[in-house]
Amino acid sequence: MTTKIDYHHLIQADKIHGSIYTSDDVYADELEKIFQNGWVYVGHESEIKKTGDYLVREIGRSSVIMVRDKSGTINVHSNRCTHRGNMLCNESEGNKRNFTCPYHGWVFGLDGELMDVAYPGGFDRPLSELGLQALFSDSYRGFVFASFKQPAISLDEHLGNAKSLIDRSCEMSPTGKIDLKGGWVRQRFDSNWKMLPENDTDGYHVNYVHQSFVMAIESQYGEFVGTEDSIKGVIKDWGNGHTEIDFSAGYAKTLDWLGSTPEKVKSYVDSMHKAYGQEKADKILFDGPPHACIFPNLFLGEMNIVIFQPTGTNSAVQWSTPMFLDGAPELDFKLIRQSEGALGPAAFLLADDASIAERAQKALLSGDPWCDLSRGLNRETTDENGVITSHMTDETSNRGFWHHYRKVMSGEG
Amino acid sequence: MGQVSHEVAHELENFIVHEAKLADESKYQEWEDLWADDAVYWVPVKEDDDPAQKISLLYDNRTRLATRIRQLKTGYRYSQLPVSGMRRVISNFEYSEEAEGRFQVEANFFLPEFSIQSVRDFRVWSGRITYIVSRRGDSFQIHMKKIVLVNGTEPIPTLSFLI
Repeated sequence: MTTKIDYHHLIQADKIHGSIYTSDDVYADELEKIFQNGWVYVGHESEIKKTGDYLVREIGRSSVIMVRDKSGTINVHSNRCTHRGNMLCNESEGNKRNFTCPYHGWVFGLDGELMDVAYPGGFDRPLSELGLQALFSDSYRGFVFASFKQPAISLDEHLGNAKSLIDRSCEMSPTGKIDLKGGWVRQRFDSNWKMLPENDTDGYHVNYVHQSFVMAIESQYGEFVGTEDSIKGVIKDWGNGHTEIDFSAGYAKTLDWLGSTPEKVKSYVDSMHKAYGQEKADKILFDGPPHACIFPNLFLGEMNIVIFQPTGTNSAVQWSTPMFLDGAPELDFKLIRQSEGALGPAAFLLADDASIAERAQKALLSGDPWCDLSRGLNRETTDENGVITSHMTDETSNRGFWHHYRKVMSGEG
Repeated sequence: MGQVSHEVAHELENFIVHEAKLADESKYQEWEDLWADDAVYWVPVKEDDDPAQKISLLYDNRTRLATRIRQLKTGYRYSQLPVSGMRRVISNFEYSEEAEGRFQVEANFFLPEFSIQSVRDFRVWSGRITYIVSRRGDSFQIHMKKIVLVNGTEPIPTLSFLI
């Protein structure tokens, strides 16, 4: 970076400057400050159940391998041979006993240690100095986060209040565990990555971007597109950039979020009652899963898990998979079909979100650069934990994202 | 599976060319009318994926296919507003008769799309299609259309047109 970017000017209490989406300098700065130096979501433990199971993901522009080693530990390594920098793993997932570089045959163990080099006679260095670069990693309820540099705060502090959102996702399962084995769809957006988390917890656009969906199909979302007074959902800023649309207050009946009834999914309801007791289980089954973004790149998208991947100033990829519930495999088929209906390039919802984001990416380059973000400032409330709540259509969530982003980008948090 | 005569192969090809033209021109209702009640309109991520266990890019039964068409017809489906310009080429046909009057047709396709809705990108889609069709009146009806993209595992841009 040659010039210092003034994030306090670009992001204010009630407005943001369009260049925050379109500037290559801002993007380069984010790759370092957000995607190298801070906690980034990589994957879920259920995706690599057995020794040697691995998956390859991108953190910013860096490819990483998340792998379960012989001791059962989950490691996140840079996907780059320590010899001459070749890509170790070109597959996106699989199972290996070790990782062998295709260039000169260096062999690395699942724990990242360099085990062997070809023709060792000409090589004096101790193998122990040339293990794969390990990322700092930690997990919460199976959600694995990592960072190239030691983050300034622990994962526990970073998640903060939002741990309760992850708890809510997990508690949809009678065993408290989710199982991400349904495969991934990846959708390309020709827009800046920040439009994805912003839009996914924007409660204001539903009746407009998704008007065709509301007209074509009856769903639980019909309860959230009425008049300003009739919409009972709320928007929440949980702190640290974590944001939520909380639909629970707007649901009319138990299992609305699943588009089902207790009679239709009796075995699931019974196992929830057995696991949590009648009262707590009934509350879980009424309130449903969270619809919440965990800063910077994880979306707990009701019964889906979603990852945001920046791929350039003007492009991003949204990954999505159905959130299967351990102990309730009878829901899998329905969850897959619902995920396809909502998320991905052919879906009833996300296809339109992408087009709208892409239009914004173009329009932001023209005219007055400011975007208004004041909606709801006149009616927010803050609870004793600092969680800010407002009407579902208010920009409380967007402000929560941007004000945390400003803190990170200006080196204050 | 049985061999198909040249005459029947020609009939099947004509039907598929007709289906492709309706899709190219976003003639939603006429296209929907080609489908049978047990329709499966399917774009898997990977060819061998079991749709009962793995997510697809698109997996419509007859009800959902009708919803898809209803949504496109609302006039507010922004990702197809205006509709994409498309002219697909379908070739390398292989035909077989599954049962009396019921056929499987496989073909390669090459679909140039002008995605006019936002970025005005010219895109190319390609892959292998498998149709299951059966005779209905003097034409056919579609029971299944499975489209395996050559790049289904990669990030895919908007796919809300009829593929």
